[in-house]
Amino acid sequence: MATQQNPVQYSKAIQYQLASIVTPVPVYASFNRNFATQPKFITWMLRNVHQPVYTGANQANKGIDRPTFQISVFTQVIEDGFTISNQILQSLHGYAGLFGGATDGFQISKADVHWLYNSYDNEQKLAQVFMDCTLDIPT
Amino acid sequence: MALPNKILPGFSASMYAQPSASPTPLTLSQLSTVGSVSAIAVSGNLMNIEAIPAFGQDDAVASFAVAGARQSDKIPTQSAPTSMTITAAWNPSDTVTLLLRADAYSGTVDRTFVIAATDGSNIVYYAFNGRVSQFQIDAQPGAEAKCTFTIHPRGNLYGWSNNA
Repeated sequence: MATQQNPVQYSKAIQYQLASIVTPVPVYASFNRNFATQPKFITWMLRNVHQPVYTGANQANKGIDRPTFQISVFTQVIEDGFTISNQILQSLHGYAGLFGGATDGFQISKADVHWLYNSYDNEQKLAQVFMDCTLDIPT
Repeated sequence: MALPNKILPGFSASMYAQPSASPTPLTLSQLSTVGSVSAIAVSGNLMNIEAIPAFGQDDAVASFAVAGARQSDKIPTQSAPTSMTITAAWNPSDTVTLLLRADAYSGTVDRTFVIAATDGSNIVYYAFNGRVSQFQIDAQPGAEAKCTFTIHPRGNLYGWSNNA
């Protein structure tokens, strides 16, 4: 039996893990109001939290969760964005073990990072790199 | 001794081969002893394979049908451990792959193999003795080169254990 996991826990763990990888670059959930004054920062967005429900009347008969969070790297210098994205790749891709630190973390079987694409926003004057990271969380 | 108490994804299992060209395989009791098994399940012995195929035991039944009786019966008998056909990405210099290739060349080397699955802290081990055969290189141009081989377990020589 595996019960439903809590997305609050996921978000705390993601915030902690990303911040520890790219420190001292600031990490935000979804949005950064100070984007105009910060030369480098990261935002993340969680999606696709879903555990399969297996047969039976028991609501707790569920499988492993495979949520994905998108990592958006914003930098004023394009090369900085690529460098930060490499830090994340080296640290996260294929990682198995404790994810999210001692307080709010949990064990993951794999973090799978997909480096999606880079871009540039002329209005914000920020270079961007987008990555998807899928977690496999045994439950 | 704690077993992992979670539903695990398939790739959380890893497979190891006992080192050395002429190894002394574990005894039946050692195959169920975590101290003996975990000594093999170390990173230097990791098999660089794509996926671990189904492992465990084969089906084995004796069927009986009596003329005039409506139903026959399947009587379970002692079943053999499952043979495993394994695909590995082919690196001609990979130490463990070279060991298995030499096993296949010899045909008479018994070696202990260990499969470990973990939830991050607890580990369950399946250990068995087997021989390698059918070592083939598949070098089709559309994909990375693969090396495929089959491990035939020796009868009854397997065991389960888990870490503390």
